[in-house]
Amino acid sequence: MRSWLGGRAQGLGHSPDTASHRDGLSVVSRKHQGGGFVKSHRWPLWGALLLLVAALLAVLVFLAAEYEVGRDQAALDQDATTVVGEIRSALLRNVQTLQSLNAFSPTPTGWDPPAAELLAQRRELVRLEWRDPAMQVLAQRLSPYRPDVFDLLPRSQALPEVRQACDAALRLSGPAYSASYFWPKRDGRGLEVMELCLPLSEAGESRGFLIATYSLPAMLAELTDAATLRGRGLSFVESDGARLAVHSVVPLQRRTLSAHALLDLPGHTLLLQLESPRRALGLFPNVLTGVVGALSLALLAVLALLARDMRRRQRAEQRAADALAFRKAMEDSLVTGLRARDMSGRITYVNPAFCQMVGLSAEQLVGSGLPAPWWPPELVDEYQQRQAVRLAGQTLPREGYESVFRRSDGTRFPVLIIEAPLIDAQGVQTGYMSAIIDLTEQRRIEELNRASQDKLQATARLATVGEMASLISHELNQPLAAIASYASGTLNLLQQGPDRGEDPVGDDIERAIRRIAEQAERAGRVIRGVADFVRRRDQVREAVEPHLLIEGISTLLTLQAKKRGIRLQVEIAPGTPRVWCDRTMVEQVLLNLARNGMQAMPLGDPGTASGLRVLRIAIAPVMGEAHEPGTGRCARWVRVDVIDHGQGLPPEVAQRLFTPFFTTKAEGMGLGLSLCRTVVEQHGGALHFEPALPRGTRFSFTLPVAEAHAAQPLEAHAA
Amino acid sequence: MTEFPDAKIYLVDDDAGVREALAWLLRTRRLISDGFDSAEDFLAGAAVARQAPDVPCCVLLDVRMPGMSGLALFEKLRLLPWQAAMPIIFLSGHADVATAVAAVKRGAFDFCEKPFSDNALVDRVEQALRQSAAQLAERAVRHELQQRLDSLTERERDVMNLVVAGLPNKLVADQLQISVRTVEVHRSRVFDKMGVKSAVELANRLRDA
Repeated sequence: MRSWLGGRAQGLGHSPDTASHRDGLSVVSRKHQGGGFVKSHRWPLWGALLLLVAALLAVLVFLAAEYEVGRDQAALDQDATTVVGEIRSALLRNVQTLQSLNAFSPTPTGWDPPAAELLAQRRELVRLEWRDPAMQVLAQRLSPYRPDVFDLLPRSQALPEVRQACDAALRLSGPAYSASYFWPKRDGRGLEVMELCLPLSEAGESRGFLIATYSLPAMLAELTDAATLRGRGLSFVESDGARLAVHSVVPLQRRTLSAHALLDLPGHTLLLQLESPRRALGLFPNVLTGVVGALSLALLAVLALLARDMRRRQRAEQRAADALAFRKAMEDSLVTGLRARDMSGRITYVNPAFCQMVGLSAEQLVGSGLPAPWWPPELVDEYQQRQAVRLAGQTLPREGYESVFRRSDGTRFPVLIIEAPLIDAQGVQTGYMSAIIDLTEQRRIEELNRASQDKLQATARLATVGEMASLISHELNQPLAAIASYASGTLNLLQQGPDRGEDPVGDDIERAIRRIAEQAERAGRVIRGVADFVRRRDQVREAVEPHLLIEGISTLLTLQAKKRGIRLQVEIAPGTPRVWCDRTMVEQVLLNLARNGMQAMPLGDPGTASGLRVLRIAIAPVMGEAHEPGTGRCARWVRVDVIDHGQGLPPEVAQRLFTPFFTTKAEGMGLGLSLCRTVVEQHGGALHFEPALPRGTRFSFTLPVAEAHAAQPLEAHAA
Repeated sequence: MTEFPDAKIYLVDDDAGVREALAWLLRTRRLISDGFDSAEDFLAGAAVARQAPDVPCCVLLDVRMPGMSGLALFEKLRLLPWQAAMPIIFLSGHADVATAVAAVKRGAFDFCEKPFSDNALVDRVEQALRQSAAQLAERAVRHELQQRLDSLTERERDVMNLVVAGLPNKLVADQLQISVRTVEVHRSRVFDKMGVKSAVELANRLRDA
């Protein structure tokens, strides 16, 4: 945290103007955009990776399947060879058996029984014939299992094949086979058969041929091992794939493997086809693919986790950057100066507001120790002491303390410093963070407020004294007027009386009465002098906007209203013209009336809930007075109402309201209303009061309109 | 002894002491006064507030009084048709001088500042009475002239207008289409009724009024 603050401050020092702050923000926003690009670039990448892994897996599975198929094929080829071997050896055995048949039965009659027995044993044989060298049939026997084979066509039809076999047999001087051929049957079907010609010889002389007709389907059925053929298809086929004889087939819809093996027989070659259904392959046909697949998945998962982590980290970074920008903007926007110091009092961080305050740049400030550059030289000792107290571990006042700083141009300004200890992550205090508020403006406003209030109060005092003097002079003037009158009257009488001649007593009396008149006059002059002295202030009349009358005293009124929980409601009718008056004196009148109104509403009367705790001041032009016909709609007077909602005035108070020195307040002098009336009457207006609705009192006074005044200098106004 | 033996002075002041003292001072100068302790009282009790005075009169009005002020009362009196025959003098304290001056500008006779010195006030009162008397006399003359004019017949008035315009009898007779003889009769009657002896005197009389 601290190093960040320090770094920040230095960074700021390079360009502490606002332009650099904008730059800082724009950098952040560019970063935002960058993040977006990476994100959009990454998806195809991820897709490619996924595809690659999928392809790898597919290849693996494919290769594994191929391997499986290859193995199956090899096994099938082996089996086909085995089957061919079996058939071949079975045929050899048959040849031997057949040779022995003729050896032991040299006569056609004797041949028949063993031949029948042989046919009963060997189902693959359809017919046995014994022919002489001229190919004439000496004996023949049909298989008991297929007695109907030669029903449709006579045996003679097969003679070419028989001859072919026998020619080969003679050539080879051993058994030979004919090519296989189709022999139709009566039932419309047929049978693929093959002839075996066994030349019979005795002492080198041919004795004919033994012809055995083989059924190819029966061969397949009888001469092979049923176990190896389970579920497989076995057939003899031609080289072009046409099936000659079928033992069993694999169901058509299934994909098959096939193996071919040649059955090489003397005189003829048969092609054996062994078919096997292809085994259905699982997703993981073997352990290898399973392991590789699992590894790939694990890899993918790890990658996904990594990506997620990365994204999260990126987001966190983004947030951190945002927070940083936010914080920086916050610090830059503050008008409050911020300053961090380490325990020795060296500056580690300042914000722009602070720089502006003391008129030094961040570079000049950061790293500077005590005495600080903004300490006024004359106060260094005091501040050093304060620093010492702070270092001694004394707690700082939360509400802050006031101090005086010095700008680089030498001017001093008051500040409020609020300080808090800087505590690092380990809980060790590393310095102080201070917020510094420039009080110059606040002081100025306070000063202004105080000045205006002082002025108001001074005016109020002066006006009160003036009113008092005027009242006293009036009150004294009355008896003095009476005295003067009596004195003058007495002198009149004395002079009118009969000629007294030499009357020393009468002269004395006359002289005394003259003195009385003189002294009364002197008293009048004294009073006039006092009143003049107080009233020396010239009455300044000017055209005043109505709202200005309220503005001058609103601060004071608001304060008092707040204290009493009263709402101040000021209404100035639109189009109210300017009034011709002495602004400060009218302000006094308003202030007095408003204060009276508020004092008529002590806390709780009327209650807050009644909604009547309102003091209304309304200013509006007076339209069409009765005694001034012909003025039309042009108002000559402006009326000001001050309305409270207090108890109202009891009749005995109302009667004496304007009597000087009459008051209902303990500390009052009884001059307020009297003064108000004097001021209003001096303006030619009138002040009066009446009960207000629903309760309270309405005080109203009138002031001349400035424009009307310009037209006609002065005129009294009767209510 | 005094110029105005039957003059009437109205004193309007809330202070009884001042009122009595003033009344006494005026009496020493042979002036009769009537006291009122408020403006309302004056409006209710003084005959002059309701009808034109028949004797010279004057109102002494205090500026500052409870209830209706002297100024307000003045505003009301100012509107009376016989206001000129009823001069008003304001009695002001020092503080009210400005008000009083304004009142004088609006037609009040004068103002006197309390305390009044010796007989200055009474002198002003007498001057006011003199003005009042003059006004009354003028009113009387005008009144008499009006009465005389009212007694003329329509024809006589026509003849008078032409005669005053300086026309000889013959032209008057031509214009009114009556005989010269008739004009002469009318003319002598008009002179009788208006109490004059010649056409010139008649013209003067009418011009003065």
